[in-house]
Amino acid sequence: MTPGRYVWIWVWLAGLMLLGVLLSRLPIPHRTVVLVVLGLSAIKALLVAAYYMHLKFDARFLTLVAVIPIPLCLILAIALLLDKPFLLR
Amino acid sequence: MTHPATTSAPAVGRLGIESGKLGMWVFLASEVMFFAGLLSAYIVLRVAHPAWPGSGGHLSVPIGTANTLILICSSMTMALSVGAAAQRDAGRTRLFLILTILLGLTFLGVKGFEYEAKFHHGIGPSTNIFWSCYFTLTALHGFHVLIGALANLWVLAQTGNPRFWSEKSQLVELSGLYWHFVDIVWIFLFPLIYLL
Repeated sequence: MTPGRYVWIWVWLAGLMLLGVLLSRLPIPHRTVVLVVLGLSAIKALLVAAYYMHLKFDARFLTLVAVIPIPLCLILAIALLLDKPFLLR
Repeated sequence: MTHPATTSAPAVGRLGIESGKLGMWVFLASEVMFFAGLLSAYIVLRVAHPAWPGSGGHLSVPIGTANTLILICSSMTMALSVGAAAQRDAGRTRLFLILTILLGLTFLGVKGFEYEAKFHHGIGPSTNIFWSCYFTLTALHGFHVLIGALANLWVLAQTGNPRFWSEKSQLVELSGLYWHFVDIVWIFLFPLIYLL
């Protein structure tokens, strides 16, 4: 990748981050803001992983290694959320 | 200064992937699970507390935003350093490594300033559940930033050795992978703690 491309990715990262900050300040329903801001974070993480960490250009197997923990994270979060009634007691 | 092409290529396994890079990705996968545990605990605690205390106005969004920009800048300089190392351009590799380290240390300095302000106002990890989560998450992330900066410093110290460019130049990329991972963690921590 050319240095210009790296700078361009940075512009996107900074822009998406500032958009998230702006949206969190607007009078929008909290649940919507949570979904949009975390969605923007996911896009930024994908940009970093794909271009700065070169997953887009490396062997597919490395993408698999990087992706495997994601469903495990979701299972962990959901399993812990099942404990909510216990925590609320 | 540009160094000649490598004389001893890094070890490549049966998958056609450099062993060091594969090892780093497996390590990062375990780090993802480490932070996933912490973030899951944070989300569950938050959902389970209808009267979530929040920061009570003691967290500055502009400072957090500026610090996030600093970390994003450091990811760009790290990527530029890896790109320069791939072209065996020692001067630019060093320059961008130094910038990455300085930006990382600036991030830690701002975090230290924030911590000092909290302690000055009598806020600590035991103040309430929010601050307990705040100090746990940011301190562990800060520790990772420090490790990343030290790793970059260690790589930087070796770039003056001609053997580095013939045998170990892939260390710039490995150190970079770790640095970008630390950036990704903050990409999620910042909105969860400061914005939402």
